[in-house]
Amino acid sequence: MCTGRVDPALVADAFVHGADGVLVIGCYFGDCHYMQGNFMAKHKLDMAREMLEYAGMNPTRLQFRNLSSAEAANFAKYNTEFVGQIKELGPLGTGDKTGMPKLKEELQIAHKSLAGPKLRWVVGKKPVFIDDARGNKYGEVFTEHEIKRTLSGIIIDEMATQSILAALEKKPTAVKDLAKELEITAPDTLKYVLALKRRGFIEMDGVEGTSPVYKFKSAEGGRC
Amino acid sequence: MANKVLVLGAGAAGIQAALAEAAAGNKVYVAEHFPSFGGERIPQDKIITDGDGFSSPDLAAFKSSDNIEFLRNADIQKLVGDNGNYKAKIHCRTPRVDPEKCDECGKCITVCPIHMYDDYNESLEWRTAVDFFDSGSGYYNIFKEDMPVCQRTCPINLDIRTYVGYIADKKYTESLATIRERLPFPLSIGRVCPHPCETECNRQYKDEPISICFLKRYVADYEINKDIEPRIYTPEENYPEKIAILGAGPSGLTCAYHLARLGYANNITVLEALPEPGGMFRVGIPEYRLPKAILAKDIEFITKHGVEIKCNVRVGKDISFDDIKKDYDAVLIAIGAHNGMSMRVGNEDAEGVFEGVKFLRDAGLGNEVPNKGVAIVVGGGNVAMDVCRTGLRVGFDEVNLVYRRTRKELPASPWEVDEAEHEGVKFNFLVAPQEVVVKDGKAVGMKCLKMELGEPDASGRRAPVPIEGSEFVMDADTIFGAIGQVTDNTIVDKKAGFTFGRKLNFEVNPKTFETNVEGVFASGDAATGANIAIRACAGGKTAAESIHKYLRGKK
Repeated sequence: MCTGRVDPALVADAFVHGADGVLVIGCYFGDCHYMQGNFMAKHKLDMAREMLEYAGMNPTRLQFRNLSSAEAANFAKYNTEFVGQIKELGPLGTGDKTGMPKLKEELQIAHKSLAGPKLRWVVGKKPVFIDDARGNKYGEVFTEHEIKRTLSGIIIDEMATQSILAALEKKPTAVKDLAKELEITAPDTLKYVLALKRRGFIEMDGVEGTSPVYKFKSAEGGRC
Repeated sequence: MANKVLVLGAGAAGIQAALAEAAAGNKVYVAEHFPSFGGERIPQDKIITDGDGFSSPDLAAFKSSDNIEFLRNADIQKLVGDNGNYKAKIHCRTPRVDPEKCDECGKCITVCPIHMYDDYNESLEWRTAVDFFDSGSGYYNIFKEDMPVCQRTCPINLDIRTYVGYIADKKYTESLATIRERLPFPLSIGRVCPHPCETECNRQYKDEPISICFLKRYVADYEINKDIEPRIYTPEENYPEKIAILGAGPSGLTCAYHLARLGYANNITVLEALPEPGGMFRVGIPEYRLPKAILAKDIEFITKHGVEIKCNVRVGKDISFDDIKKDYDAVLIAIGAHNGMSMRVGNEDAEGVFEGVKFLRDAGLGNEVPNKGVAIVVGGGNVAMDVCRTGLRVGFDEVNLVYRRTRKELPASPWEVDEAEHEGVKFNFLVAPQEVVVKDGKAVGMKCLKMELGEPDASGRRAPVPIEGSEFVMDADTIFGAIGQVTDNTIVDKKAGFTFGRKLNFEVNPKTFETNVEGVFASGDAATGANIAIRACAGGKTAAESIHKYLRGKK
């Protein structure tokens, strides 16, 4: 399989199901049969790594290497190296910022975010946006730094949004309780909740005391 | 023919006015800053309603009227004319969503990754960058912010976000190329600019501003240190017109550079009165702030574009202005402001009293300068700081700076003041010079008066008020006045018909830098009065564009 097809969601899924490490090995840059498959893989995996790190996992657990199919010795070497590193870290939840079982929940949320359309759009457009000859529809070229900064912002947003949605899916909750549960400041939680409501993912369920209670709207979400 | 009516603003009042005019049979254009009409009557809490929250009869009539044309995202830029005959220049920003193709599926809002503060709700909420604004028409719009604040503050509008971003990407040559699209002096400006952009930088509210100025210096130095050959821009078209530029300073050379890029390469002659090019970069800014070898690199880069610099040609002496005007199709006067202003104190013409700028010029060119004993410097700007610090370097035993207000009001950049103090310049605040004390025709000191701060004056600074009977004499061997510069306007004849401003500067149209004499432009200090280098460069760039328009329009 071309590494360009390694979806960030697949990687996150592996970790959710208990994998301790994922090593993706692709062709050398410039050797891609599909011109830029391995470049795409690198962009995607860099993003996935940042996301999973934000979720509390040790970023060493996800690595990307380049090899040609004629380099058996190097293949063995890379694998031994990687396995050694993972053995040193221990199973998922040890050697990570967050321990089990909290890490699993966070990884599930990260998986949802990576499977969602937002990050995929940005990471998919990244190589075009930073290409001097192409840029966006209006010919505006972005610096890599700018796109990276945008991506980091989206990762934080998506993690918050998805954790709110996950919590609301379990039971309708008021904003102040959500904020306490998810450890996001109350004003920010309110803004995320209002944005979700505006975009049609959640709706008001009733009023509890003085605070409105929100509930999850539908699996589809959004206005179609 | 029906009258054409322009209504600015599509709020409730604007819509009523438009309807009234349309009913009277006029063709009505309605320009609105926001992407939608209806002012603040749009429901905030819904994505698209089925028209239930938005059923004002006015709005329905407005939408269906054939005589009304709605210009959304439109800002009025210029309005000229008289009753019955107006001309308006309106800038319509692109909505970035094609209303013909958009079928209002609303998917963009659910996937839009950028969140921003919602300006309709006074920033209480977030909204996505793509959003609908007009639930009546269903138009969508992508919000893209205007020029960043640093770029807006920079006189030459350098694309700071891009070039700093390229540095973050480690793409140094691309970064430098971005700077050089507008500014040919990255090495020099990166060293001397008082960077107004950093004062405005939004990052300062978090920790401290981005070091925009030194980042520019960094990429420019990188090219020199790595011996990278700078890319010379060759224009696609070449024009035959000859252009003379008087003064090889920041403004003149920037103008020459841009004219060369516009297609006048090898037809540009820069005339410089001093033996070396560079203007105030060379003879105003001391070596310790801008090494001459560094400046030479910038100038070399400009001359490689097909700019000829002739030194030691003083207009009015070696060649007359009329001859230049005859020989060239367009003339730019960028002679700067090299004459010191009078201190307006008694005995100013005594031996041992000098203009600060003349001292800096002589020091910069390696001429003989006074350097013995004690010096007094009058003034508080960056030039005064340069004079003080250069004074200590050429060998004065002691340099006293005299300023009639306090340290807080000093117009010089604070880091310059700190460095001057560190080097041992003695500051005398709230002291006003009265008269030069003369002995045998030579200055031996300055009679001064102590001051105190009174009420704020027109400039907002507290005006100094003299304290009665507080006169004292400060001893000195040399006195420098550094209280501002004026332009030497004797290069042109009175008959030429130029008008001059307060600082003897050439009066120009602030948009085009054209003087009142046809085909003659002026920029830099010669047009604006003494100002910072980057502003002179910006003037040179605008003048280049105006000269190009003038020459192309003449045909």
